[in-house]
Amino acid sequence: MELTIEVPRLNDAHSDFVSMAHIWSQIDAAGDGVEVSFAFSRCGFLQPNAVVFLGGLARIIGHRGGKAHFLVGTMEESVRVNLLQNGFGHAMGAEEAPWQGNSIPYREYFIGDEDAVVQDLRQHWLGRGWINVSTALANEVVGQMWELFANAFEHSNTPVGVYSCGQYFWRRRVLTLAVADFGVGIPSNVRLYLGEPTLSGADALRWAFQRGHSTRVRSGPGGMGLDLLKELVCKTNGAMLVYSHDGCALIDQRGERYENFAPFFEGTLVQIRLLCDDKHYMLSKEVAATSPSQFF
Amino acid sequence: MYIKVKELVGKNAMTLDDGKAVYARILDPLTHGETVELDFDGVEVFASPFFNAGVGRLLGDLTSDTLNSLLKFQHLSDFGARVLRRVIENAKEYYGASAPQRQEIDRIVNDNAIAA
Repeated sequence: MELTIEVPRLNDAHSDFVSMAHIWSQIDAAGDGVEVSFAFSRCGFLQPNAVVFLGGLARIIGHRGGKAHFLVGTMEESVRVNLLQNGFGHAMGAEEAPWQGNSIPYREYFIGDEDAVVQDLRQHWLGRGWINVSTALANEVVGQMWELFANAFEHSNTPVGVYSCGQYFWRRRVLTLAVADFGVGIPSNVRLYLGEPTLSGADALRWAFQRGHSTRVRSGPGGMGLDLLKELVCKTNGAMLVYSHDGCALIDQRGERYENFAPFFEGTLVQIRLLCDDKHYMLSKEVAATSPSQFF
Repeated sequence: MYIKVKELVGKNAMTLDDGKAVYARILDPLTHGETVELDFDGVEVFASPFFNAGVGRLLGDLTSDTLNSLLKFQHLSDFGARVLRRVIENAKEYYGASAPQRQEIDRIVNDNAIAA
């Protein structure tokens, strides 16, 4: 079977995530072995969340015995150049190697390789001088961002890896990073874990983002990762968008909003926005109050 | 016992597996009343999975008083200390649940792991 999908302009508004879920639904409905051609004649821009989504979709299609074609001839020059610059094009078979610009490279991680993730985050995301952070603070932010990757690897059961990509928007001084997996999704995990199959997507995500809550598949304590990430985003006046299965969340300084999301998409897509305003980056001096010898 | 954590896990103390490696090294000496010193000199990046598996889990084996007395942390960065405290606080809640409650939680977790 062959399928052609017109990719629209995809930003990071709610309607854009709805458009992406519709794309996922079409491909899912087509079943195994489908050949999908992605056309871009109506697409003027792709945010990093859309780039990781399309990359992951291509791998899912391949995993199901099909093939994805990106119709380069239909792309506006700006879209084509951006996809080449961030390495998406190269990952999808283009000969042209990526180069350095305002994009944070498109990456595909097939195992939870923390050293590779740390190097990428430090070198290509924080290390470009867009945010003026000390080494200690960079380590802190990288550790918190790793929670996102760790969560994807530990909980998603993704069959095709984890994808990331980012962009620096210099006019707005905003740095973004998107991470996607095509695993079971956070709400599904929560429902299975709690034994509540009718729990709404919004309530399931709300549960997952509370401190100490984890759908870990091992005994012992867990569930600190998303909480730490929330803290980073709020303290830096940033934002975190999470779309997972049939739930979505927006977390920023104004609070946490959880909603049901239809149509659903099988997997999890997270986009982090950080403001590149030095005055917000003061986390590392927050020393715990008690004596170092009394941790327990 | 003195352990240079960097030699065991490298510059990044972030993953469950790294945490498990530390736990496996320190549980036995701690259980036998030996003082353990974890030296984090040279470790740059910390994340909660490491501390959950390496340190938080110890609260299921030993009391807070015993751990305060026997387990020492050296050269832990401010952020590392913050994550560690958060993990310990969370582990105390987890292990503060009654044994039957914990067994039920772990049973559900294991059943789901097998199903997955």
